[in-house]
Amino acid sequence: MLIDPKLQQPAEAVPGQPPARPAVKIDGVSKSFDGTLALEPTWLKIRKGEFLTLLGPSGCGKTTLLNLVAGFLEPDKGELFIDDALVTQVPVHKREIGIVFQNYALFPHMNVLKNVEYGLRTRGVPAAEARDRAMETLRLVKLDQFADRRPKQLSGGQQQRVALARALVIRPKVLLLDEPFSALDRNLRAAMQIELKEIQHSLGVTTIFVTHDQGEALSMSDRIAVMSKGRVRQIGSPEEIYASPADRFVGTFVGDANLLTGTVTTSESGTLTLDLAGTALTLPQSAAPEAAAGETVELFARPEACQLVAPGTPGAVPATVSFAVYQGAHVELHLACPAAAEGPIMLRVPVANVPKVGAAVAVALPEAPVIFTGEAQ
Amino acid sequence: MTKRPFLGWFVTPAGLIAIGIAASFLAILQYSLRAHVPGMLDPGGFTFDNFTTLLKPAYGKAFITTVLLCFWTALFTLLIGYPLAFAMLRTRSGWVRGAMLIITLTPLFLGEVVRTYSWIIVLGNQGFLNSALLGLGLIDEPISFMFTTMGVVIALVHFTLPIVVIMLAAAIAHIDRKLEQAAFSLGAGRVRVFLTVTLPLSVPGIVAASSTAFAWTFSAFATPQMIGGGQVVTISTLVYQVGFASFNFPLAASLSLAGLLFTIAVLSIFNLGMRRIERQGAY
Repeated sequence: MLIDPKLQQPAEAVPGQPPARPAVKIDGVSKSFDGTLALEPTWLKIRKGEFLTLLGPSGCGKTTLLNLVAGFLEPDKGELFIDDALVTQVPVHKREIGIVFQNYALFPHMNVLKNVEYGLRTRGVPAAEARDRAMETLRLVKLDQFADRRPKQLSGGQQQRVALARALVIRPKVLLLDEPFSALDRNLRAAMQIELKEIQHSLGVTTIFVTHDQGEALSMSDRIAVMSKGRVRQIGSPEEIYASPADRFVGTFVGDANLLTGTVTTSESGTLTLDLAGTALTLPQSAAPEAAAGETVELFARPEACQLVAPGTPGAVPATVSFAVYQGAHVELHLACPAAAEGPIMLRVPVANVPKVGAAVAVALPEAPVIFTGEAQ
Repeated sequence: MTKRPFLGWFVTPAGLIAIGIAASFLAILQYSLRAHVPGMLDPGGFTFDNFTTLLKPAYGKAFITTVLLCFWTALFTLLIGYPLAFAMLRTRSGWVRGAMLIITLTPLFLGEVVRTYSWIIVLGNQGFLNSALLGLGLIDEPISFMFTTMGVVIALVHFTLPIVVIMLAAAIAHIDRKLEQAAFSLGAGRVRVFLTVTLPLSVPGIVAASSTAFAWTFSAFATPQMIGGGQVVTISTLVYQVGFASFNFPLAASLSLAGLLFTIAVLSIFNLGMRRIERQGAY
């Protein structure tokens, strides 16, 4: 295994603040279905008020993990803590969690107010108080004037806000969001993301957000846990995940990636030299301290970190323009490159400055690119 | 519009049957408006007498008996069928589900007469049920099930159960499990989730199943005839008695027609109720 999961535990302390106790602690939890491992033993700590995203393709175990935290599934092994209390055996309805489901799961036979009141009534809150609190929460999501409508009479975005209000009104210890934006169209989605993030931040509610959309994850999260094949591959801030992916999967799943295959020529006295299909590249040894001479490695660079330069520039990789895609603000240039690990290399260039298809060019790589060695490839 | 040359051929058999049914209804209508000539199988001239005869207390009583029978049967079928359908859908064991399904549906493939005969064996004074209760010392003398409304209802519930369970199972399967999960997550226990989410959302299925049970029971013949033994007089047993014991075809026809109109009226009321529920936007 590439990364020891225990090492992936986040630094608990926020710089300049005393270490907070985790709101959610996932302690070695694993789950399999009919003998197939859906979630490998996983350790995670989520700070109070943190917005943590579980990001990954379908079948990566993110929904399984969410359902384990919610209590819809029971772990095979490991324990779960919410606010330091062991909840592994606690049934769903006693866990004090709020869930926004993918299709919102609003009760169709109740009006909006009754939907929002539901969680308060089950807690024995008197009718008048439940009503007031529900209306207050509906005001928070700007839907108080729709209180007596049925869910079916609302738009998708409004339904989602009702679902959010219903989950928040009980002041949950943890808010779980299961792909809540997937049913919304693109423009509405962006607006709802901002709104949700604002509400989450103002209430300071600890949130676990499940999505397969890397854009959503990058724009909303305090931290992202990238998952694949039942395993957390990397956990970190959006910036860390984007700029320093731990392995090839994370690098290619989050954002656009260029991958070049190279062979280590030398790795000594602080310098690492690579041979990229004939181009020699000199890097600081810290880029891949464990790489040995003769080893095949992968060089990872974001499109915006690469530059188009004149052919023959030292240290730049030669390439040929295969095609250009006009995108309005810029042009996406796809380049055939002998060193490319898979597919073409992609660069974004200003519209004014597009080389012709077939032109020989060269790509200058970032000074400190990410190098994947061993299993990280 | 594309030509669909085979469509006409496909609907022809159904069309022929529909014509046959319409013709038989017209025949019944025609009979119900003809006079009965005692001793003759052929009816006499045009008259409304058959329908005024139906206003006699004896016929009114048969109507009331039938409606009560339908009501009790529908009620008990629902009370037994709902938990059965629910358990069948929600059991995690495929084996248990299969067994429940087979036990529930097998009666559908036995004729009404065969099933009624088995109920006679079970319900008789020396039958299985009384013997068992006597043997256990729960009762001192046999309970009369035969020739009573209770006995007929018991057999009719069994007769109606499969269709009701199928309809309820379809309705319950239609309920989004996420709604129940949402209710759980909001702090509701199992009972509360059932009463506030599952049961209200099953209402369309319950209405459909009970109206079907009602119509199904209303038309039942062999069960009230054999277990009621002439003591429980329903519309269908009366039609048989009037038509094939007294050979008063015109009266039997008008009785059938009245029963048919009554069933249509009841089903329309159910349907109206259902539309009201649907208009609330719940389903």
